[in-house]
Amino acid sequence: MSVTASFAVGRRLPAISSALRPPALDELGQYGGTGMLRGKRVLDVGTGDGRLALGAAPYAREVEGVDPDADAIRDADAKAREAGLANVRFRVGAAQELPYPDARFEVVIMSWTL
Amino acid sequence: MVDALHEAHRVLGPHGLLVDARPDSRVLAHAEHVTPRGFRSLGLIATAAAELGNDRASDRAVAAVVREGLFRSRRRGRFWHRVHFAGLAGLQDYLDDHLRFVHRVRWKVDPATRRRLRHEPFVIRRAVRYEVLERR
Repeated sequence: MSVTASFAVGRRLPAISSALRPPALDELGQYGGTGMLRGKRVLDVGTGDGRLALGAAPYAREVEGVDPDADAIRDADAKAREAGLANVRFRVGAAQELPYPDARFEVVIMSWTL
Repeated sequence: MVDALHEAHRVLGPHGLLVDARPDSRVLAHAEHVTPRGFRSLGLIATAAAELGNDRASDRAVAAVVREGLFRSRRRGRFWHRVHFAGLAGLQDYLDDHLRFVHRVRWKVDPATRRRLRHEPFVIRRAVRYEVLERR
């Protein structure tokens, strides 16, 4: 059984902090690897600061991340701009009422969301 | 939770994949001392009772949508994730600040050993379970 690792943490990290979660590619690798994402439209529900969405973006055709926390979405947007990723978008929204049309995605990820 | 799964079903195309991943409260987390040769488990950490209830509710929600015929299970598994701390104080701060785990480690070593190691690196090794579901 494989083990992933995140870097050292201390106090006052927000609960959604990426520091408490596995690195995106390690985690995606567990679910089937980047092959599962290649050329696909991917939705990351409960994206937080975009950890998994940003990790998936280089492989997917298009990635959307949705989270009810507007501050986290601003962080995710900033990270996407900083990384120069043009195929990823973030929106504020709830998992119970996703702001997307029917049959829009080929992969939906709910990590630490339910 | 079932509402969120219904929404996932709605936005997925035919045969689309849903990944559900969550901390696995069915197994205990480990407090591990980081040694030059690797990791040595010195204590066990249980999940808080409220979180166990939430996890069971999530399990029931997934089972419900599978029973409804919205999804079928393609694959499931578990992996371990390590969160690193510079010393035992940081590990305890983490437990104090977060709701997921109980706040006390069930130590397998005596207090003198813990005092001796308190400034050395530790990790919490926690289990994550996942299931890949295919939209029907």
